[in-house]
Amino acid sequence: MKAPARLQTALTEDLAGLWLLLTATVVLAFTANLLRDEPVSLTYQSKEQRLAGSVATLQEDLSLSVSQGSTPLPEALDLEAFRQFVQAGQGLILDARPAIFHQLGHVPGARSLPRDDFENAYRLLRANLDQNKSQPLVIYCSSASCEDSHLVADALRDLGFSNVTIFTGGWAAWTRAGLPEESDS
Amino acid sequence: MKRALSHPHMLLALRLVIGGLFVYAGGLKFLHPVAFADSIATYQLLPEALLHPVALLLPPLEIIAGAMLISGYRKRLATFTLVLLCLVFLVALGQGWARGLEIDCGCFGSESSSEQAALWAIGRDILFLLGLGWLYWKFLPPTPAASHA
Repeated sequence: MKAPARLQTALTEDLAGLWLLLTATVVLAFTANLLRDEPVSLTYQSKEQRLAGSVATLQEDLSLSVSQGSTPLPEALDLEAFRQFVQAGQGLILDARPAIFHQLGHVPGARSLPRDDFENAYRLLRANLDQNKSQPLVIYCSSASCEDSHLVADALRDLGFSNVTIFTGGWAAWTRAGLPEESDS
Repeated sequence: MKRALSHPHMLLALRLVIGGLFVYAGGLKFLHPVAFADSIATYQLLPEALLHPVALLLPPLEIIAGAMLISGYRKRLATFTLVLLCLVFLVALGQGWARGLEIDCGCFGSESSSEQAALWAIGRDILFLLGLGWLYWKFLPPTPAASHA
């Protein structure tokens, strides 16, 4: 049998095999999904929609607290301004990256408020957050190009926090500058 | 060169490396299907209704085909499946790059969405295709003369 004929035979056989494999994978994939702690719904929601859903649930569940005045923060902090904010310790630093990255290393004193698990993480931080809705909050994520810090900042504003800003450089700028790190391990 | 590439140890190494990478990549995405759906959305290729079904289906397919290639069970079918997957990835990455989209490859979980990262993913995909194409060729049914040997 010549090479083209061998190839044709193999392709015909494999195409038939592929359908079987695909069918088995569909059954397996959807069964595995049902066995997850939180099965993934078949309807897609964007990051923004998911975060808005979490904010709406939190707004429904949690009562509003009294605001107290404090110096308003600028719209965004550069590395030097953020470094001073960290040193002064007069507000909360929030890490919007996934929790695993926060555990591996974060800005000293930062608390984890990941965009991808906002609702649960917010409930854990409630005691620190809800006591004063105008306290300075600075959010950061992995780098200047990530959007999680912006999304989390918007979500916090929707929850009534009035003094929220972003450290634009994120974790990448902090570590590049050789500034101190903290980890949970 | 051709002899070295045809050596059984080389073929085994190719199977283990490529199969292992697909099992690893599929595993990462299997653990975080919603993040994977976010990555697929950046390609702007599929309607929203298909994002979650595809994000749930692709990772197990990569894991199963990768495991089949490693174990040697129906290894030619596994290679064929992975070739098709790589072709799909290549088309998806290529169209995203050509349209200037900020795509997050999503190949090994959530990655950066720079143009450089997209080009690197395209290069990686072409390398996989070359390796898999070679394996598929070597797994073709033997010629009658060889089969009687």
